[in-house]
Amino acid sequence: MTEAVFRETSAQPRTESVPLSHLSLELGHLHMEDLREGPDRLRRHFEAVRPWIDAARAGVAALTGGRTLRLSTCFLIDDYFTRFSTPAELVPMLLSAAGEADLTIDYLARESGCAVTEDVHLAESVMRRLVESPPPGSNGFRPPVSRTGWLTNGQRTPPQRTSAAMTATSWKPPSETGAVRHSIHMDVELWDDADDHRTWSCPFLAAVWQLARLGLLRDNGRPVPKPAPWNGEGFPDDWDDLPPLLRLTPSAAPFTAYFTCTVLPTRFLPVEHAVRVILDQIHVDSAALGQITERSAREGIHVPVQIADRASYVFPPGL
Amino acid sequence: MLVFAASDKGGTGRSVTSANLAYRRALAGDEVCYLDFDFGSPTAAAVFGIPRVLDGFGHQGLHSYLWGTTDEPARIDVWASTERKTLRNRPSGSGRLVLLPADRDGGEFVTDDESLHRCVDLFLRLNAEFDVIVVDLSAGRSYAMDMVLRATSRPELRSVPARWLIYHRWTPQHVTAAADLVSGIVKAGADMGHEEEALAGAIRFVRAAVPAVGSPLLSQVPSTTARWMRAYDEKLDVMAANRGIGKTRVLGSVPLEPVLLICEQLITDEDVNGSRIANKATWQALVELSERLTDDAYWGQP
Amino acid sequence: MDATGETPRHVLTCGEVRTGLLPTRHCLDGRDAARLLALRTDEQVRVSERPNLHARSPDVLTGVDCRLPTANDAKIRAIGTVAARAVLTEGRVLQATAYFSAPAAGLDQRQPWGYYLVRPGVLVPLGRLPEQAVAAGFLARDRSAVPSGELGLGSIAEGLLGQLSRHPLLDHDVPFKSRRTRLRWAALPVQDSADASIERFTLDDDGLRTIELRLPQSTEPAAVAGLCEDLALHDWLLTTVVQKLDGIRMGAAEGAAVMNVVRPLVDHLLHLWMPSARVDRTLSPLWEVLETEPGFTRQWQTLVQRIRDQLTLQAIAAPAEASTAP
Repeated sequence: MTEAVFRETSAQPRTESVPLSHLSLELGHLHMEDLREGPDRLRRHFEAVRPWIDAARAGVAALTGGRTLRLSTCFLIDDYFTRFSTPAELVPMLLSAAGEADLTIDYLARESGCAVTEDVHLAESVMRRLVESPPPGSNGFRPPVSRTGWLTNGQRTPPQRTSAAMTATSWKPPSETGAVRHSIHMDVELWDDADDHRTWSCPFLAAVWQLARLGLLRDNGRPVPKPAPWNGEGFPDDWDDLPPLLRLTPSAAPFTAYFTCTVLPTRFLPVEHAVRVILDQIHVDSAALGQITERSAREGIHVPVQIADRASYVFPPGL
Repeated sequence: MLVFAASDKGGTGRSVTSANLAYRRALAGDEVCYLDFDFGSPTAAAVFGIPRVLDGFGHQGLHSYLWGTTDEPARIDVWASTERKTLRNRPSGSGRLVLLPADRDGGEFVTDDESLHRCVDLFLRLNAEFDVIVVDLSAGRSYAMDMVLRATSRPELRSVPARWLIYHRWTPQHVTAAADLVSGIVKAGADMGHEEEALAGAIRFVRAAVPAVGSPLLSQVPSTTARWMRAYDEKLDVMAANRGIGKTRVLGSVPLEPVLLICEQLITDEDVNGSRIANKATWQALVELSERLTDDAYWGQP
Repeated sequence: MDATGETPRHVLTCGEVRTGLLPTRHCLDGRDAARLLALRTDEQVRVSERPNLHARSPDVLTGVDCRLPTANDAKIRAIGTVAARAVLTEGRVLQATAYFSAPAAGLDQRQPWGYYLVRPGVLVPLGRLPEQAVAAGFLARDRSAVPSGELGLGSIAEGLLGQLSRHPLLDHDVPFKSRRTRLRWAALPVQDSADASIERFTLDDDGLRTIELRLPQSTEPAAVAGLCEDLALHDWLLTTVVQKLDGIRMGAAEGAAVMNVVRPLVDHLLHLWMPSARVDRTLSPLWEVLETEPGFTRQWQTLVQRIRDQLTLQAIAAPAEASTAP
């Protein structure tokens, strides 16, 4: 196609690329309740995590095609659903507990940052990129998820609407699209609206978090969230003053990576199943995705086409 | 503008009169559509002389649209589709007259948020296309009435003018029932976020099947009966005024008219001037009503 | 290379564009146009000011898994995403297009959804695609006869228009009432490196238009959508102005009545005529065909002249009426 002579910048968007590690390794995902239990709870956590971190590291090294392994670690603090203590008090405690288990936290993130960061409405942007997997028979005519706030991996039981003359509906089971013989149907609540305020659900924010780590989020072509450097001096007294994503290790490998691995207690299994259902139905920025496809091909690394398959998990015993 | 046609009870000739108003507005050059929201007993198609309206359409009526099984409700161009020959010749300068029929076997149904959403979409879309959108509701309170009340309370539809016509017969029971219906509408509307005063101000009454003394139909009644009727008429006037439906809130009266009540059809100029099956007074009442329908002066607006 | 790492080859591109007046009193400026069309919060609306004000939303996708219409009743199921986008010209005319392209053949089974998500705007058939039959079926179908369960591009375009109509920027107090038009198009590849061509352009009286195109296989689906949006826009302008002028009884109507019809056309539509303003260079020759037969611009100029004549007549009549007034 011939290049145009006349250009208007506002009419020509551009997508910036992100640096990429091989693996983004999440050392844990703790809620405020866990943090409330104090340093012992944190030490126990990191000790239990430790051997699996080594295993994950060894596992991914096999995928790098002989190149030096680029791996960064991260930790997500939930400050969205509940708040406790202050960064000034909590973060040093967290870092020292990790240090005692000989672990380094390269990047520290706040869960609120997955909802809104630097005036960028991350969760909302991701919501608008949901493209529901159509059950067979879908011809383009269905109420959008943006109206219901629920996302499923298949077909729901039909609603029991009453009508004098419409055919009486008997109960029909829900189904999973593409199920292997039997269905495992899941219906995920993405948010709730109360008093004009939208609260995103934990699985939805976790899906945003996965996309951030996979380097697939852009805001008008600009990568988000951008890690903020840490001055090494201490942490603020208010969670809102803590950057949503903070680079604690100046020399750390890039935050964004081809693969993610997350170490979690087993009780998070349903959440991560929901995350998979969400990731499976997000149409990520084609340019961002293309850049990763191209770069991984150059590096000789096979990255799965499906986003959800780029995220892996470890659910160790005793966590 | 949206025009909702409601009635306290059946037998007011609501559908047929509303259809006639739609027809007269189209003759006057307005682009008009008529929505059959009388889901329990859709009759509009017959009034327009299109009895086989949904043949070949399957389930494409308003039920199916609001229910969410079709993306666009069927639209019937009345001028082109009517079986009444006198209607076929669309006069030059007239506007479109389009019927959106209900499904023939749809029945009354419970509406939900999704049908409300679709109803708002439909009104917005029709508003861009038509000058007058007549929505015929069933008698009394219905799910459809609640749905349109809810729809018109939405911010998207706030700026679209909406007018309500309440048809009632000229008897004490009907006057009471009509007054009760309106207070019910206003109260329900206010609960849904309507401004009570604005909603009440957009409601006018149409007295239907009024036996006018001196009309040819009643020319044979004895003078004592005529006297009694006149006195009773005055008593009813007082009663109506006391119930808040006095003269200032009446848009017009339609005389007792066999063509409306028995044949339920559009009254054309030919019916009055040519074959003379309909009364001139009825014709005049319909013309007057249709003019007042879009005349702001009759709606408390400058 | 796209996200799949392969170069896509399509043998069929189909779309439907719906065109209508933006339902609001005044036209929108560039900034409001961008606000209206912000279907995504992370992707900008493309606003361009030369040679006219034109805003285009990002594409949004809808997943489908259904039968495609065919002219010969062959059953063909396709799975994938339909792309939809909205454009606003001079802040006044709103269009929504839903379109897809399809490869000659696909795998025999439905793949995991992610396979389709990395092919935005592509419907992958199960097995071989009878592209001629689908193109014919797609263009032949009358809306009232669309069997349920068959692909409904119109629903998707309509859904997008419905969503935009709810935007708080719009007051729904339109300067004049007008109908929407639907233009359905299908493009098949040219034979043996022939030039792009319009095979057929038909007008139905209920606002449906169909276009059959032959295009080089390398043509971007979005470029075809752009061409058809441009054709639909100008067809809508013609249709609307003709309808409006038909509505007044020329000569018989009063001056004020004529002005009520003509004035909004002058205020809102007359300056919108600009064929091929943004059409991809490789496709712009197609416009010239329509200029020769039936002669879009020729008809437009005649209409504009009629409107100007009316205005002149009214201007002459007005002082006369004023002087005879009591």
